[in-house]
Amino acid sequence: MDIAIKDGKIVERVDELRARKIYASGMIVMPGGVDIHCHIAGSEVNTGRLLRPEDHFRDFERKTPKTRSGVGYSVPSTFTTGYRYARMGYTTIMNPSMPPLEAKHTHEELNDTPMVDKGTYPLLGDWWFVLEYLKKGEIEECARYVAWMITSTKGYAIKIVNPGGLEAWGSGGNVGSIDDQVPYFGITPREIVRGLCKVNKLLNLPHTIHVHTNNLGKPGNYLTALDTMKCVEDLASEDKPAIHITHCQFSAFKGSDWRTLKSGAEEIARYVNNHSHVTLDMGQVIFTDTTTMTADGPFQYTLHELSGNKWVNHDVETETSSGIVPFRYRRKSYVHAIQWSIGLELALLIKDPWKIFMTTDHPNAGPFIFYPRIMAWLMSRKAREAVLNRINRRARNRSLLPSIDRELGFYEIAIVTRAGQAKALGLKNKGHLGVGADADVAIYNVNPETIDPSRKYKTVRKAFRQAAYTVKGGETVAKNGEILKHVKGTTMWLDVQVSEPIKITEEMKRRFREYWTVEYENYPVTEKYLEVSHPITVKANV
Amino acid sequence: MAVVKAVTCPVCGCLCDDIELTIRNGKIVKVKNGCAMCESKFLSHKNEHRILKPLIRKNGEFVEVSLEEATRKAAEILTKANYPILYGWSSTSCEATRVGLELAEEIGGVIDNTAVVCHGPSILSIQDVGISSCTLGQIRHRADLVVYWGSNPWSAHPRHIERYTAFSEGRFQKSAWKGYLTKVKASAAKKKIESALRRVLFRKKAFVSPKPRKGPPPTLFKEGRKLIVVDVRKTRSAEISDCFLQVEPNKDYELLQALRALINEQEIDVDEVAGIPVEYLEEIADLMIGCNFGVLFFGVGLSMSKGKLRNVDAALSLVRDLNMRTKFVIMPMRGHFNVTGVDTVFTWQTGYPYAVDFSLGYPRYNPGETSVVDILLRGESDAALIVASDPVASFPKKVAEQLVKNPLIVIDPHMSATTRMADVVFPSAFVGIEASGTAYRMDHVPLPLKKVVNPPNGVLPDEEILKRILVEVKKLKEKRLVEAA
Amino acid sequence: MFKMINLYPLKKFRFPVIAECVSPDVFQGKNQKEIEELEIWEGNKQKRLGELFKVEETRKEQETIITVCGDVSKVRRIGAYMTSGEITINGDVGMHLGEEMEGGKITVHGNVGGWTGSMMKGGTIEIHGNASHYLGAPYRGSNRGMRGGKIIVYGNVGNEAGAYMRKGLIKIYGKAGQFAGSRMHNGTIHVQKDSEGRVGACMTGGKIVVEGFLESVLPTFTIESIKKKVKIEEKIVEGPFYLFLGDLTENGKGKLYVSKEKNPQLSSYEKLL
Repeated sequence: MDIAIKDGKIVERVDELRARKIYASGMIVMPGGVDIHCHIAGSEVNTGRLLRPEDHFRDFERKTPKTRSGVGYSVPSTFTTGYRYARMGYTTIMNPSMPPLEAKHTHEELNDTPMVDKGTYPLLGDWWFVLEYLKKGEIEECARYVAWMITSTKGYAIKIVNPGGLEAWGSGGNVGSIDDQVPYFGITPREIVRGLCKVNKLLNLPHTIHVHTNNLGKPGNYLTALDTMKCVEDLASEDKPAIHITHCQFSAFKGSDWRTLKSGAEEIARYVNNHSHVTLDMGQVIFTDTTTMTADGPFQYTLHELSGNKWVNHDVETETSSGIVPFRYRRKSYVHAIQWSIGLELALLIKDPWKIFMTTDHPNAGPFIFYPRIMAWLMSRKAREAVLNRINRRARNRSLLPSIDRELGFYEIAIVTRAGQAKALGLKNKGHLGVGADADVAIYNVNPETIDPSRKYKTVRKAFRQAAYTVKGGETVAKNGEILKHVKGTTMWLDVQVSEPIKITEEMKRRFREYWTVEYENYPVTEKYLEVSHPITVKANV
Repeated sequence: MAVVKAVTCPVCGCLCDDIELTIRNGKIVKVKNGCAMCESKFLSHKNEHRILKPLIRKNGEFVEVSLEEATRKAAEILTKANYPILYGWSSTSCEATRVGLELAEEIGGVIDNTAVVCHGPSILSIQDVGISSCTLGQIRHRADLVVYWGSNPWSAHPRHIERYTAFSEGRFQKSAWKGYLTKVKASAAKKKIESALRRVLFRKKAFVSPKPRKGPPPTLFKEGRKLIVVDVRKTRSAEISDCFLQVEPNKDYELLQALRALINEQEIDVDEVAGIPVEYLEEIADLMIGCNFGVLFFGVGLSMSKGKLRNVDAALSLVRDLNMRTKFVIMPMRGHFNVTGVDTVFTWQTGYPYAVDFSLGYPRYNPGETSVVDILLRGESDAALIVASDPVASFPKKVAEQLVKNPLIVIDPHMSATTRMADVVFPSAFVGIEASGTAYRMDHVPLPLKKVVNPPNGVLPDEEILKRILVEVKKLKEKRLVEAA
Repeated sequence: MFKMINLYPLKKFRFPVIAECVSPDVFQGKNQKEIEELEIWEGNKQKRLGELFKVEETRKEQETIITVCGDVSKVRRIGAYMTSGEITINGDVGMHLGEEMEGGKITVHGNVGGWTGSMMKGGTIEIHGNASHYLGAPYRGSNRGMRGGKIIVYGNVGNEAGAYMRKGLIKIYGKAGQFAGSRMHNGTIHVQKDSEGRVGACMTGGKIVVEGFLESVLPTFTIESIKKKVKIEEKIVEGPFYLFLGDLTENGKGKLYVSKEKNPQLSSYEKLL
């Protein structure tokens, strides 16, 4: 079977005599990889880079005539990030947490992240405007402001992190359950999640709300995760997802403390298998030294207290917070080994691959360069056993993995690493190779007809580590690990069109000045900040 | 006549973005909302010693040349060099810095910014302990305890206190402005009485001011926002504070460490630290623990005095420790308006915030080894490009001498001490007045810089000049490759 | 096939020279020609070792011995990562000498630059001149200090010697700069002469002995007792010493011995005992 490409798109056919050909027989051809959740740009990522010279001084990439130099490991510099994704055959990545006030920063970095198309999600779950309008029950007004915000920050989806908890963290507090009151605002996380879920629907956004749950990283939090999923159950329609629970591994802890920690994957998988309004991504732990960074300020502080490692906190006025802590996941640590197991259990116990996607919440549970390893674990029981034999014994005894026989095939891998992610994101031209799709193609040098991934997982892993060819927008940009061409990639953002946009009155500007320390005029990200702007028009129902 | 609103001020790290400019006949004639530094920058940028044409030194004299010739000359110098340095950046846009980094990589040079002589040590300490921080609005809304340590915002960041801290009005915290007014009145009255007394007593030693108080002043226990200043001398900022702690010169480290021990409820063997009795410090420690939201701003008084990075290390650790008891944040008072932005761009492209050495073809970082001041001190560089900075005036003499010994290229709007010593000079537009771009406030909030008037004819922005040099450098390198082949 | 290799710099270097290849591990099993071909950087130009050094092969030896004769104060990273063999340098040498070294011996008859023995794990470095800042300290941002081995300096050292140290010994016959042993966890630092102060800042464990003058001890150290003598690696050093514990800021259990005789200004602590 041939795939024809013309002008950056996949087409029915091309003139075979004139076309440049890639002979891929005996190889796997997939759409370019799609990453729904990886921290690669913006204020917290960059502070992570700044914080950790010791993380990257050994892992560097020299300048070549075609590529820029940079450093790597857990928080690579921007160019290196792009190259390393391209080498693995990834062509679309989503940066999941952007403080709106610092959106220009995120976009400036995305401009310098080559080889991939990208988008970014503004953090809206603790924005004062949202809290106030939801408290007043003015969903439509809230939706108008959210529309303004997404368009003004050139964002792609609504990101919610520890709803309510971040506002509380602004004064050093947190919330403990989805029904806790947020101090001063008199609203609960449940109301925030439900409210923004409704807003999301009113605005017709391509992706669902993208939620990092309350109580993340705390024993017993699988109940919070379940509560969060349940709280929008009635808002779902026609089998369409209404909520995405991100890096679910971190929200699937059972037990009352670290000593009694157990996996809550079974319960979460059972719920997800019985409902159709949820998608998840894994947040798979890799045993390595990495850098954790989330908008969840209180969680990061806890992590600092647990590890004793250096800690960065950065709260953003009226909007959000963030924290950074270097962290090492150790095989011999009971807790870390359980975490490793939970991620895989989720991916294997959830039956429908269109509901759970492969991520490491880069770099939180591990750097993205380890994706091929996860693919091998998903495809091979033997690969999992090889690790199981070397982890903490008590964790091994408690792991559900030995009881799971499921091994994903190449087709399912294609779903959890691109097709499913593209579908969940509402990216119609990504994640498939049908006519009309963007010509983003990854070719891996492994023959599915002769290689049994269950036994030969190392071969498969090697093939996924370095695509034989990565085609981006119709151009071969990487071949066997070598970057052939530095291409820019687009920045996708939503131009949300509401029938009655909010009016920027003097009163509004005054309120703006009261809430933030910048002028209204200087807040939005103008389109000139995006080197290759790709607006996606969305018609809202409000 | 036109009025431009919401202009960002390109002077200090406060980056106030509420400036209103009135423009008549292509000239700024009125500045509203700005401080004195802001006004003078906007009003006098045209009157300063502007350079209008590129210059090359020939036989010891500056000769006006075309932009092309200057570009070619600069490219020749840079491509030939074995260890060139590219320095400055903090007073230009992020966009220009981006090009500068590519240029540095292309020529295998060392690129460094002015952080190296102000808050570089602070960054090294952040890399050791981390930093608990936030944006300035968070402080305006929430802080009930504001500490300035080794910094004098009243003079160096004039609007910092009114816009972001003690005198600003936040959602959960009210301005402490009124209390200050009462205090100023009282102190004015006191000064009047003092001078009257002096007059009466013919400047004899009749009026003896009371000995400095050894305990905390009563204002420290008032309701509402409190302002503490710690410094080696009584600055203007100290005068308006609720409490001024005078630290013995070069004893900041000891004082900070003692406070750390106290907030961790440890007993201290000595009675006095850095000239301050331990009982007094205990009061301060209690106040820090007892506040709801505290903030510590530190200046070069901390990062550049004896102990340098370790002073900041102690301050960062103090704030980190305080977070076990309450909410506390810390922030360096960055000087140049875009030094934060430059660090940011350096970091995303190379992984490192300043002192980046590309000589091996990839970024390496080790201040002390790869920082420009140290390189000059060891006499290792053989060419330099200076952008929007005046190191000849600001560096120590020995370092500056080393800089001018080798071919020197300068991109600057005016005739500075450094420009005067240069071999190639490119006049450039004032970014934030005659050229647009982006700058980052001291708390990492990016803000747009506006172009409000046109630069003099033929004068280009830094970004454009650097792009031309980069193109020329690439051309030269290609030519050499062809010749070699 | 071990041998002795002599290196002579062919000129006075002006630009930094990065010479990671000058290490017994790299030289081992290579003939003179191959050694001359090794990659080395001078400023931003890649060169061959033979372009910058005259390489001379002398007699066979029990192990690889490298002798560098001349001023190599601009030459960095000599002996980095080395695991065995010997390097002798007759002259001043640049930064990062013996960085992350695991074994073998480096002897310098001259002064050394900063970060000598940085992050070292084993082996010995002996310096007959002075050492600059960050002796045995880790790379920026890292808390992995010296984890073994021995550094002996017959001259003076700069600031932050032995920062983040976890194991091993640093012996300084001369004076030490500020912040010796800062944030150290374990191991021993022995300063025979004066110290500029702030010794043991933020230390959590380990032992620092100052035999000379130390103007003041950090306020976050607390006096424990007066000791007649202290033992450093089987050797007894006669006192008496004030023994301080700290650093309180890190709930540390580090031991700081300060000569009683040389520091009468500390006698006020005695009333607390």
